[in-house]
Amino acid sequence: MERVLELQSVSTFRANGGAATPSEAAAARSELASTIRAVAAGDQDAFSRLYAGYVRMVHAILLGRVPRRDVDDLVQEVFLAAYMRIGELRDAAAFGGWIATIARNRATDHLRRSRDLVELPDELPGGDPIEAETLVVLDAVRKLPETYREALLMRLVEGMSGNEIAERTGLTPASVRVHLHRGMKLLREKLGWQGHE
Amino acid sequence: MSNDYLWDGGGTPDPDVRRLEALLGPLRTTRPAPRIEAPQWKTPRWNTWRFLAPALAAAAAILIMIGLTLQNRQASWDVASLAGQPRVGSTPLTRTGRIDVGQTLITDGVSQARIDVASIGQVTIDTNTRVRLVATRDGHHQLALDHGTLHAVINAPPGQFVVNTPSATATDLGCTYTLHVDEDGAGVLSVSKGWVALELEGREALVPVGASCRFDRRRGPGTPAYDDSDQALRDALDDFDAARDAAARAAALRAVLEHAGPGDAVTLWHLISRVDPSDRAAVVDALTEVLPMPSGVTRDAVLRLDPAALDGWWNTLGLGEASWWRTLKAPYPASP
Repeated sequence: MERVLELQSVSTFRANGGAATPSEAAAARSELASTIRAVAAGDQDAFSRLYAGYVRMVHAILLGRVPRRDVDDLVQEVFLAAYMRIGELRDAAAFGGWIATIARNRATDHLRRSRDLVELPDELPGGDPIEAETLVVLDAVRKLPETYREALLMRLVEGMSGNEIAERTGLTPASVRVHLHRGMKLLREKLGWQGHE
Repeated sequence: MSNDYLWDGGGTPDPDVRRLEALLGPLRTTRPAPRIEAPQWKTPRWNTWRFLAPALAAAAAILIMIGLTLQNRQASWDVASLAGQPRVGSTPLTRTGRIDVGQTLITDGVSQARIDVASIGQVTIDTNTRVRLVATRDGHHQLALDHGTLHAVINAPPGQFVVNTPSATATDLGCTYTLHVDEDGAGVLSVSKGWVALELEGREALVPVGASCRFDRRRGPGTPAYDDSDQALRDALDDFDAARDAAARAAALRAVLEHAGPGDAVTLWHLISRVDPSDRAAVVDALTEVLPMPSGVTRDAVLRLDPAALDGWWNTLGLGEASWWRTLKAPYPASP
């Protein structure tokens, strides 16, 4: 199995699912810093670890903004852009927020470039079969405020826990919890679900 | 595990969340990491020196021919198609060609091009872009980006390469950068190496490596911020730059100061001259916390917006002397 950043294992595989202890967090930051140094030196394995650690966050950000058919290509572009610019990163701990910004900017660029083209439906014949209800739900999530939208997609599409979302994005766990619960409340309203608060 | 199913799947499953997981889970990403490749430079191998002499002679002849033709090519640049079929004026560009002063290079949704900026660098023209060659002469080369995206890599003394946009003029100060302009004239500059000065009618922004700056027709250059700075700070800056009245500006400034950290000195420095006078002291105090004033610079002088004091404080950032930019500013011709 591909080795993934320690940062991920801290929250994903902790027995109690709680937030990382200070020593675990320090170790994760150290691991991230050394991985970023290795990526800057052209280490493909380190790049793969960094990708594995952050691809779900980047994918969720893009899925919330651009047509589904374009998301995978843009994910690759975001990571290649991050690789090319990784020497600009002043603080390894800021990597999550930094690559998230690259993803948001790349999505904005993509939408600007695409707006003169004929708008295609999100599902085209011959594509991966996706349930109609999935597309309805995705459309509703995309209409949520940005912070709620991104947190919900990381949780519901990518399967990230709240602590993992906080560690990746640089937000506090308390903020992520608020985003998830307020986002879920708004989503229920948009979908007309009665809800189980 | 917690007892909050939405948080981490712990506790009693929430039926709505489980239903959403089942519906949205198939959208999860599965693609592996892209390969990163170091450039592979091929070194020519000479089997014997006897091949070298004819090659040198041929090279000398080529150099002479280049020298003879350069005089006729001073006012145009080489351009090459990278994808699709860009146009120079109304002429489709299939492989390589020239762009003359006054001509326009246009790419559509699938075409890209590369321009050699005299002998000082290259500019890659992205899709859906319209760019004009305004001027080229010794020490001064100028493009106008009407809309779209260009990536510039310039190896020349500061100030030689200038790009006009409808909302700001970007002056290269020895760097690599990406410049995007929307069709309404608004855009964003992101600097990858060195720094770039943006200006519109006296409003300036000095954008260093790792930072970006938005601009639009109404306000000209916005306030630069590092790309790895707090998202809340960047959101607050956008609000500040877009604010149309003093109350909104003051509220946005409070949020900026709340989220500004030790790495945001460049942003705070720009804000000193942009905030309302009643808010200036708070910005000066915030910058002093992260970047002490150097000797010779006084708080009173900064509050008066004394240019020498502001430049002196900028110089302590270690990003290059502000005097470069001051001395480089010259009445470049506007886009025709």
